[in-house]
Amino acid sequence: MTTLARTGPITSRRWRLGKRWLLIVGLTVFAIWTLFPIAWMIETSLKPDADIYGAPGLWPARTTVRHYIDLFSQDDFGTYFKNSLLVAVATTALAVVIGILAAYALTRLEFRGRRFVANVTVVTYLVPPSLLFIPLFQVAFQFGFTDRAMGLVPLYLIFTVPFCTWLALAYMKAIPRELEESSLVDGANRLQALRMIIVPLILPAVAVIALFTFTQAWNEFLYALILISSTDQKTLPVGLMDFINGDVLQWGPLMAGSLLGSLPPILIYMAAQRWVVSGLSAGAVTG
Amino acid sequence: MPDRLSTVVSDPAGEVSIASGPGRRRASVRLLGRDWALGWAFVAPLLVVIVALVAYPFVSGIILSLQNQVLGGTASWAGLGNYRELIVGKQYGGAFHEALLVSLLYTVVAIAIKFVLGVCVALMLNERFRGRTLVRTILFLPWAMPTVIVALDWRWIYDGTPHGLLNIVLHKVFGADPVQFLSNPSLALWSVIAVVVWQGTPFYTMMFLAGLQAIPASQYEAAAIDGAGPLARFRYITLPGLVPAMIVTTLLSAIWTANSLNFVYALTGGGPLNKTTTFPMLAYRIGLTGAGQLGVSAAVSVILLPLFVVLIYLLTRRMLASESGVR
Repeated sequence: MTTLARTGPITSRRWRLGKRWLLIVGLTVFAIWTLFPIAWMIETSLKPDADIYGAPGLWPARTTVRHYIDLFSQDDFGTYFKNSLLVAVATTALAVVIGILAAYALTRLEFRGRRFVANVTVVTYLVPPSLLFIPLFQVAFQFGFTDRAMGLVPLYLIFTVPFCTWLALAYMKAIPRELEESSLVDGANRLQALRMIIVPLILPAVAVIALFTFTQAWNEFLYALILISSTDQKTLPVGLMDFINGDVLQWGPLMAGSLLGSLPPILIYMAAQRWVVSGLSAGAVTG
Repeated sequence: MPDRLSTVVSDPAGEVSIASGPGRRRASVRLLGRDWALGWAFVAPLLVVIVALVAYPFVSGIILSLQNQVLGGTASWAGLGNYRELIVGKQYGGAFHEALLVSLLYTVVAIAIKFVLGVCVALMLNERFRGRTLVRTILFLPWAMPTVIVALDWRWIYDGTPHGLLNIVLHKVFGADPVQFLSNPSLALWSVIAVVVWQGTPFYTMMFLAGLQAIPASQYEAAAIDGAGPLARFRYITLPGLVPAMIVTTLLSAIWTANSLNFVYALTGGGPLNKTTTFPMLAYRIGLTGAGQLGVSAAVSVILLPLFVVLIYLLTRRMLASESGVR
């Protein structure tokens, strides 16, 4: 239901008309504010260098896909993209499994210390990465996680596992206990009940959790920045940073790479957006 | 899965005891709960992650902050020396004080703007109109983008040459000379905050929208029958209904905004003249660049810990209160 839409005869026509205009103007201004940086990114990625650094103009006079071609032929963009993909997929697979098992135990099983574990999970979820990155830098050395893309996976579990557990907890709660208890009465054990009753029921939720988790791992920057130095191990956000540390102006390929690097999370968000707001109210997604 | 586990958990003793009192339960079950073995087995991987990758670095961070340790060197005990250095020291004292001020300004201003914009946009998106889904999709886009990519995009928008977008517009409209948005000491922090707001507002909008949708329509209907006008309805129904979402969102955002390093790192690197050096940026600079003073750097994070412990404590209580599934 809407906030102010239920008006009835009390509300004057003037109010309704004024609200209409406020809505149109407000949302238009906001849409422009939101879209112009993305439009500028797309435009730059399609402009030839001569136009990017030539006579300044707002509209592209000519377009080219040169920067996209260069990105893959001259730069290590393909490697960054592949590394990011591998790291994000591996992180997601591990975090979702760990999170679902834990959420099942926390909502369905009775054991002492359950409340404590739930508390610790929330606290862990809230501990900001920058509070940990200096000691983690040392710990990563001890464990031998440094300078390998896949070495990031365990570190990414730090923020993805509590997040998955927390979201799964909210979804798991919504499944009536009776469904599962009747199967237990029928002689199934807990693992069978989890596999045959719970997992099929929360499969859509699992997909949403997995998509959010993938996005978080894909977007991560800080740990990758401090732990990876070899070009062939860099993930996309760190690799893109290199473009501006060099001497040559590379805004064309950089914007092309930024656009391609934004696409996976944006597509995921569009696919899952129906659940975004409900997922947020269930457990609060990072922002 | 070994049989032992399943026998323990499917042991009827637990269920029987509900009917016939705790006296008949087995001791282990009474002490540890009906499903203790499987329960702990299922949360074990979660606990491994928490202990090995959060608790252990956390404790070693505190120890590190009490040591003289240079990147690649050996450690020696420093006691509270690193903290003294940050608070009154000659080498890092000034930088730390300045970073605290910058952090405070950065966090408070960014949160205030995101909050106000978030409420406005959520109220607008909560109305019914044609194309609402499309508008919502567009307005949430920045939230999905990687922060570093957002920062790089804006770095090019702010570019101090005549080719940056803002300078093109300023030149065309006012005939102005290029403005150095990110290297002018009095502008840089505000430029960074604008980017934080650009990316962060959708999160507020989403949380508030979820909060608005949780307000029962019947309350508005009742108010309309009682003759409450739009402003009265906003004041007495919408606003109180949003308070829980406002508290959780602001606390979450305070933790994340204050501790975020990405925007500052990718936009300004902390410059010009340290005007955008927030405390995570300072910790990064002290610990991982130059002399690599890991001990001092860890102290920068630890010294602010009590503040975040309070925030995290408040949030944990709120989040668990709404989570009645875990008793």
